[in-house]
Parts: sequence; structure tokens; C-alpha cells
Amino acid sequence: MERLKQAAAYTLQALRAAGADDAQVSCAEGKAEEFNVDAGEFSLIRSVYSASASMKVIKGRKKGTAAVNQLDKEAIDIAVAECIAAADSGVEDDALSIAALEENADFKEGSLVCDKAAFFDSVIRLTEDIKREYPQIMIEQLIATHSYGKHVVANTNGVLFTEEDGSYNVSVMYSAHDGENATSFNYFDYDFLDPRTDIIALEGVRAMLDRAVAELETRPFTGKFVGTAVFSPACLGDFLGIITGSFTGDIALIEGTSPWKNKLGEKVADERVTVSVIPHDPRIVCGERITSDGYRSEDFDIIKNGVLNSFCLSEYAANKTGLARAKSTSGCIGVTPGEKSLDELIAGVDRGILVCRFSGGEPANNGDFSGVAKNSFLIENGKITCPVSETMISGNMAEMLFHLRGVSAETVCDGASVLPYAAFDGVTVSGGAGDEATSEEG
Amino acid sequence: MDEYIRRALAGVMNHAEVRTQTMRGRNVSVVSGNLVGNSSFVSTGVGARFYQDGVWGFASSSGGGEENVKAVIASAKENAALLHSRRPKHKPALTNARPAEHREQTPFRDTDQKLLTDFARALDSHIETTYKDLASRSVVVRANCIEKTLYTAEGSFAYQLFPRVYVIVVMSMETADGATVELFDVLGGGAGYFTDYYSDPSQLYPAIDKLHTELAAKKEGVFPNAGERLCVIDSEIAGMVAHEAVGHTTEADLVLAGSVAATNLHKQVASPLISLTDFAHTAFGQPAPLPVYVDDEGTECKDAVIIKDGILVGYMNNLESALHFGMEPAGNARAYNYSDEPLVRMRNTALHPGQDKLADMIASVEDGYYLTKTQNGQADTTGEFMFGITMGYEIKNGKLGRALRDTTISGVAFNMLKTVDMLSDTVSWDFAGYCGKKQPMPVSMGGPAIRCKVNIGGR
Repeated sequence: MERLKQAAAYTLQALRAAGADDAQVSCAEGKAEEFNVDAGEFSLIRSVYSASASMKVIKGRKKGTAAVNQLDKEAIDIAVAECIAAADSGVEDDALSIAALEENADFKEGSLVCDKAAFFDSVIRLTEDIKREYPQIMIEQLIATHSYGKHVVANTNGVLFTEEDGSYNVSVMYSAHDGENATSFNYFDYDFLDPRTDIIALEGVRAMLDRAVAELETRPFTGKFVGTAVFSPACLGDFLGIITGSFTGDIALIEGTSPWKNKLGEKVADERVTVSVIPHDPRIVCGERITSDGYRSEDFDIIKNGVLNSFCLSEYAANKTGLARAKSTSGCIGVTPGEKSLDELIAGVDRGILVCRFSGGEPANNGDFSGVAKNSFLIENGKITCPVSETMISGNMAEMLFHLRGVSAETVCDGASVLPYAAFDGVTVSGGAGDEATSEEG
Repeated sequence: MDEYIRRALAGVMNHAEVRTQTMRGRNVSVVSGNLVGNSSFVSTGVGARFYQDGVWGFASSSGGGEENVKAVIASAKENAALLHSRRPKHKPALTNARPAEHREQTPFRDTDQKLLTDFARALDSHIETTYKDLASRSVVVRANCIEKTLYTAEGSFAYQLFPRVYVIVVMSMETADGATVELFDVLGGGAGYFTDYYSDPSQLYPAIDKLHTELAAKKEGVFPNAGERLCVIDSEIAGMVAHEAVGHTTEADLVLAGSVAATNLHKQVASPLISLTDFAHTAFGQPAPLPVYVDDEGTECKDAVIIKDGILVGYMNNLESALHFGMEPAGNARAYNYSDEPLVRMRNTALHPGQDKLADMIASVEDGYYLTKTQNGQADTTGEFMFGITMGYEIKNGKLGRALRDTTISGVAFNMLKTVDMLSDTVSWDFAGYCGKKQPMPVSMGGPAIRCKVNIGGR
């Protein structure tokens, strides 16, 4: 850590000497150890050693940023000159700032040293478990990584944070095959701390693999109806990621295109909806401790009981719009669970679809979305009846939040988020030959 | 350094490669008059990969220097040995029978950051003063360059530069119901440096005006009638069909993982009108938008013919998959950064043109859609694809009707391609995108306008 502190101090000194009024720097080093499986077979072991220095300068109320992936003086000097040149070419802006000094801190957590042998054993066991329990599943690609990193954030206001952490991650993309019959791919991605983790036993993994095998009986959906979409935890996470970006993020608020721009403190969802950013939740693996602006990271609610509680703004966007800076810049999302089980939620659906992956175009600024419901199942008269392919769903995300049918009691934690299933009414489901069988229902 | 790497690879009997690489980038973003992005980066490092009887070891490190290279090579060898010891495959030696050599003669040219910020601000100022009906506007300038030097155990050597520059303009308008519609376009640019393509901001004014006109139509737009529809997919977005709908399923690593192409080689998978090629550096008698001469395994790049007259005739391969399938490698093994291993990737993937005129194609549709702009797409190993549509029009009785709001189209590639019955006689290219597959990768994609049936999302 001392080397990083020295590099940070040198960078700030060099930026000051070059005329900076304010400057902030983040210096980092890391190492990743990675095992790869391709088409069901181990293919590659990869080791990556990295370093970086990212700097921001404010000079004459103008901003410049630069980054370099070496920490020696020569490399930093070049980056400093680039950073100052960028500021000189910039535009005066009173919203520019660097982090204010509050309370400095050092953070250290997780599995700092990779137990390569134990982790390799766990990954081998996962591939063998899948082969034995799910012979029809093909692991298209598996990437198992231990990531270790340390970094220093410092600025000319006296801010000095250090952080050191390490964790394991497994990301698996898979599909089911039976002769020439094959399903769409799906994937799961988990963070954890114990290299001996029984990966197939992580919550939600077997349920996803079970569904993949069931998808071998898929059939194209024909017709069109308006019904209930039940989103899987992973799919709900993707939707909430889009909503937080498009409705509460920097660009949407600076441009004024967010449909929620004037909704702070107002109802934007059903009162059962609470969406939080939870980097400090004990279930989250190595959650964010320092925001990208250089502040101590804290948990906060974006939507609390259906009311918009906070936007997800950087300090610049906050200064620009007169709104508050978000207390965390992490993507660790938690949704408060409901009281009904997933089975009970599905039992209440007359006609709908269980959506386990969404592959769609970028939603419009107002939340209009459409895309393919992948790895999905038709729900009829309270029961899952069959897996479907070539099926599209469309609707509006902002309206959907008001049309909540329910949130499941069970949640899935993948180490980066804690999410339930959620059912929304008013979603259009369509397939081929869409004109022949259309119906409308709430 | 050069001598050291050559010595380290001398006598290695299997394929091995060492790649030193520098990535440089300059980014400027002006959002509604605010200079929110004004940055540059430089990333330098070395990566090495060694093959051992069917498995690979890879290692990389930032920075340069002989000691760094030595450590990276040692770590890559250790990784290959470790994997071989735990999961042996006992496959035969892998070598490149025809090592390639290529030396880029034109040196890297940097661009002054101020040139980019001034250009972006001038465009923003023009848009602000000219168009008073906008809800928001953004101008983005990207000038990046990847510089690679590759050495392989078989003796391949390649020094290549991959510069790319482009300008993106985004505009939005508020609709009568209070929603916001947005539209963007890539204006000019290509494989090269900023001053190769841009001098006076006014050269882009006509394109900006066209974008504004389209956005105004979209503001009054309607949702498509969801379902399977007859569509004319404009040449501006036909590349997405080539890349997403077909290209990914024919990447040999995905074929080995069970993609739909695995059981369709030498079969009719498309209308006889359809031919598709992943071009290396020259396409249809012109330089390809993002030319590649030697891939990151040291294979000389040639065109990879995928579909010929509707028949699936080949895959895109790396050395290992080419050996597996008994095919000639055409140089599709590409790595993004020094810290990335080469994967099977596309380069310049395009559908070949036909003989129809776009106007005739539109006139031939009684009830359907003309789709003209896209944003993102995704493929599936089953051949089911989707891509977002950001601009399009109804076609009623052979005439263009109302504009469309944002939507998505989808289909199953080898089914959809069999419905193609008209292809326009001109090809357009999109060169500004990145393909995502473990690593990002700059790719280009192209094709003519296509008349076909696809599923369209809507209300």
C-alpha cells in the first residue's frame, strides 16, 4: 500500500506543480487468477497483473482527466501533462469539484490471498456435478476468477482512503441439448469468499439448471395477449439496472429527460416496492467502500415504499442539478421481499409469462421497452404450462412499477445483489402470427 | 526487447505467442452544453500464451521491460503446465503451418485533445442555436488506437495499428404526452485518425439536419403492431443481421459449444440470394472498414466465407478449431487488450448485395415496416437473435407511413434468412461498434437492404 500512497502523493504534487487548483487521484494494483472452461472442457488458466493511476484536475474552473496503467514517475508525468492539457482545453463549469474531506479510513476485507488449489478443486467439482446431475447441460463457457486489488484515493483537500479486498467469482454460460434440440443460453454469476464453496449448492443455481432442462420442450408462442410478467431475480436485477440508469442517473437528470426528474418524494411505484443500494449488507461480497467520487460509501434507498427517495447522482450531476449526491455509486441492489411464495404468486396469474432472461433493445428514455423473453415459461390458470421460444414482451417500465402484482418472499443473493421474483401486470406478450389469437386481460 | 522475445520463443515446439500492446484513447462528451467527458488514457503491457497438449496458459502484466516479459512468459508456461497436470487432454501439437509477417509502415499519429474538444463544442453550439425544439443534445468524439506487436513460436511477426475515430450526435424531443424520444447517429469517421476524416464542423451539418428531421418524425411516431411482419431492413442496419443473426452462431468456439450451425454445415440455411463473408481487409473491391492483416495467433488474414448462395459453407476459426474441423484458418483469433487471450472474433462481416432497388423493395410491401436505425443486438447459440430498432416507418400499400417509436425485432436466423426474397444493390457499413464476448472488440458489419419476415415488438 505504501507504494500506492507514494504514487498518489507524487501525482498530486505533480498536478499542483503543473497549475492544478484541485486534484484527485486513484492509484491501484491488482492480480486476477482465472480458470476457463469452453464447450464443457477446461481450456485455459490466466493470470493478470494490473496497475493504474487515474487522475482528475480542476484548473481555472475547467476539468481534465487522464489514466495510465503504470505507476512509475515517467508514466505518471506523461499522464499529468495530458490531464493538464485536457483541462486547458476544457470549459469553465462551477459544478466541478473534488471530494470534500470528511473522515479518512482504511478498508480491508475478503479473501486477500488466492487459494488456487482449493478454488480449482471447487470449479472441477462444479463441472463434474453438472455433468452428473444434468447430463443434458452443456457448459458453453465458465470463467472462475479470484480477484485481488488494493487502491488509494487521495486528493488535494486531504482525502486519503485505502482499500484492499479479494473475492472469488464464478460465471457460467450454459444451455441444454438433446440431439439436435437445444435451448437458449442462460447464465449465472456468483461472488463468494470461500474457495471451497459448493458452487452448485448456491441458492438459485439448481433451480436455473432444472429450468434449462425443462426448456428442451420449448415451443414457439403464437398470438398476443396483455398479461402478467413474473421476472426472475436475475431478470429483475437487469430491469432495475436499466431503470436506475435511465430514470435516476447523471445523464438523464442533467439532460432533464428522466420521467422522474420532478418526482423526488413522490410516488413512483406501488407502495410494496422498496429498492435499495446495499454495499454494506453482510450478504454482499466486498461491497463498495469508497464511491467513485472519493467519499465513504453508505447504503441508501432509491425507492422506499413506492416513493422516490434518492437519485443515483455523482457529485458533479448533483452540483449541476441542485439535487443530492448518491451515498453509494455501487450497483449492489436489494429489493425488499414480499410475503407470498413464488408458487403463490404464479397461482394467482390467469395468463402470463415467467421471464428468466430478457434480451431487448435499449429502452426509450420514458421506459418503453420491448425484447425477447428468453428461457421463459407460459403461465396459464395459475400454473406454468410450457417453456416458450420466439416470444417477445413489451411495456413501459415506469408504468410497470405501479402495476405490481406481488414480490416473492424468497430472494436470491448472488453476492452482488439480493433480489426476489416480482410479478407485474399489463405487459404485452407476443409471438409469431400475432393477429390470429389476440386477447386482453389485466 | 525484440531479440529477447524471439529468443524466448525459439525452440518452442507447440504454438506460443507473445504480444506487446499499447492502447490509447481520447474521449470528449458534451451533454446539453456541459463538457462532462474530457479524458485520455494510455494502457501498455505484455501478454503471453503457451499451448500444452490441448490446454493453454496465459499471463499478462502492465508495463514493459525485459524483466516484465520474462515474468509473464514464465507465468504463462506455469499456467499451461498446471492445467495440463490436472486436466490433461493429450492432444497433438498445435502449430501454424504458414507463419505470417506484416509491418505497418504508417506511424501512430496522436491528436491534440483541444482539437477534439473544440470540434465537439462547435457542433454542440451549432445544434443549440439551430434547433430550438430539442429536449436534450449530446456530442461525443472518440479517437482510439490499438498498437500491437506479435511474435509467435512458429516465426510469425506482426506490427499493426488499429486507429479508429468517430463522432456521435444524440438528440431528444419531448412528445405531446410528455415522453421523450431520442435518436443518435454516427457521423463520419472510420479506421484512421481525426484529421483524416474531420476538418470543419460544418461538413457534418447536413447529417445533423437529417437526424433532426427523422427525430421530428419519430416524435409523432407510433408503436408497431407486435407480431411477425414483412419488413424491409435498411442497408444501414443490415450489418446487424450479418453479425448478430448469423455471425455469432458460426464462430467455431460457439459451434463447439453446440450452436445451431453445428448441425447445418453444407446445408441450405438461407434463401439462395444470401451470401455472407467475414472480410479480412478488403471487401467488394474496397478497403474493409476495419482491416486486419494478421490475427493474434500469427495467421495471415483471409476472407472467411460463411454462407454462399444460401448454403452454410464454413465457420470462423482459430488455429485449434480449424484443426478440429479440418478447415483452413482465416485469421479470426483476436484479442482486445494485452491482458486478453485471443478468441474467435468477427472482423468485417457482411451480407453480399443483390440486384433490387430500395424504392422497389418498399413499393412491394402492402403492410409492413421499413426499419432504418439500430442500437444494440444480441445473438443466441440457437440462432435466435434480437436487435433494438430506434428508427423506422410503417409501410402501407407500398408507401412509407408514420414513423415508429423504439422497438425490437427478433427471429431465428436460419428461418428468417429463408424468407429473404429481395436484396438491394448497395452495401452500407457500420464500423463504430464493439462486439461483446468476454472481451470487447472493434468490429464492422455491413450489407444491403433486406426484405424478410421478422417478429417485431410493440403494443
